[in-house]
Amino acid sequence: MAQTSMNSGLRRQVLTLQVLTPAVVVILWELIARSGILYEGVVPTILEVASAFWNELSSPELYHHFGVTLMELFGGFTIATLVGVVTGIALGSRPFVSSVADPFLSSLATTPKIIFLPVVMLIFGIGPESKVALGALGGFFPIALSTMSGTLNVRPVLVNVGKALNLTRWQMLIKIYLPSLVGPIIRGMRLGLGVTIIAILLGEIKLSNAGLGFLAIEYYNTFHIASMYSILIIIFLTALSINAVMSYISQRFDRA
Amino acid sequence: MTATLEVRNVSKTFESDNGDRIQALAPANLGVKQGEFLSIIGPSGCGKSTLFNIIGGMIPPDSGEVIVNGVSVSGPHKDIGMVFQEESTFPWRTVLDNVAFSLEVAGMEKKERLEKARHFVELVGLTGFEHHFPHQLSGGMRQRTAIARTLASEPRILLMDEPFGALDEQTRLLLGDKLLKICDALKQTTMLITHNITEAVQLSDRVAVMSYRPGTIMRTIDIELPRPRDSELISTDKFAGYVGRIWEDLRMEADRGMKAAGEA
Repeated sequence: MAQTSMNSGLRRQVLTLQVLTPAVVVILWELIARSGILYEGVVPTILEVASAFWNELSSPELYHHFGVTLMELFGGFTIATLVGVVTGIALGSRPFVSSVADPFLSSLATTPKIIFLPVVMLIFGIGPESKVALGALGGFFPIALSTMSGTLNVRPVLVNVGKALNLTRWQMLIKIYLPSLVGPIIRGMRLGLGVTIIAILLGEIKLSNAGLGFLAIEYYNTFHIASMYSILIIIFLTALSINAVMSYISQRFDRA
Repeated sequence: MTATLEVRNVSKTFESDNGDRIQALAPANLGVKQGEFLSIIGPSGCGKSTLFNIIGGMIPPDSGEVIVNGVSVSGPHKDIGMVFQEESTFPWRTVLDNVAFSLEVAGMEKKERLEKARHFVELVGLTGFEHHFPHQLSGGMRQRTAIARTLASEPRILLMDEPFGALDEQTRLLLGDKLLKICDALKQTTMLITHNITEAVQLSDRVAVMSYRPGTIMRTIDIELPRPRDSELISTDKFAGYVGRIWEDLRMEADRGMKAAGEA
């Protein structure tokens, strides 16, 4: 809440700098592009990037690849969330099991998931399925870990209220555990989404036949650098808007 | 809808972290009559909360039994409604939905359960706050919500573990008045666990004094103050007399408890 306590003069300064920063970056970019310091084509001019960007937006091919990436994201993230939440609750409701599993989960969580690329390739092939698997694998750990620690920390007195009323296991899950876990699950999802996006794009860049990551690396290989940048911008904007939606959701539902 | 409660030879021993066996409850015996308000008072560490958890079926006793209306019960029981010491309202539910919780899990239809819940919200004096969430309420109001939630399940015995323990003295006295009114209205068999002598005398028909570890019922004292009562009672000589008598019993036990805590 630092921003609300700032006086309006300071806030205007912050805003000015925030607007100026990208403007400065654009100007520097243009200067570097025109100076010829770097090889021609490595840093195309703003105009070239802008026209490539426009070309991309008007080409149906982009939407095909965009759709593939979105579907992979949706599939991978859905699987990560479902499996992560179920695993987290299953482990967290048994403190003994969770203390056994915790070091494994934590160390796997920090391992870059891209090392599993050869494995998922072997199993799922070169198509979107292997990216979905990689994305699911990436998002799974933060969600499972956050749900697990949330489950361990569900207030015992609330569980006792349920016990005193003789709740069934199912009622206990639906009426007491899940509502208590909304915060930890959403926090895990926010972390997991970032990892899923990274894993899927890395997978696409490394070895695939469709998707925004594939398109970017295709343009790189064929030395269409301006088009490559425009794809990077599209990826950046997509990640930005997904993140905005996610933080809206978390503010709306996470009262903790 | 009320019943008698009897605790017969209930004992409990715990193992502490360093492997010592601590006898929390020596065989304890106690009876609560139909419609009676009984308080159990004792020093910290006397096993009051252990007794509460055994009666409520949260933990099994090592020996002895809990008898409701002449029938031995084990585990959580629908005849016994528990109000816990800690904050226990569901933060994601409004006051009304909190109070309706027990009816909801029992499968009562929405319209019916909300109507019934409204009645209990009114009983604890929270009308107008039905749609507030717990975090919008004071600690006293939250505890009243928890009490209403337990009352809504219409238990035959109301069991409370220091429900006002976390509240300041003035709020506690005022809530005591509320509770007196509720008890007069419901004529509910009630057992209250407390460490507050004033609260015990203000509310009870009878006060049972527990010894320090191993906890056992040392004596029970009838509180022959007229009903209906309110908190103005605490300025009377008779009230002070009861407080004094209970403190006399309690003092040595509290002292033992303090020494034991100092050694630990």
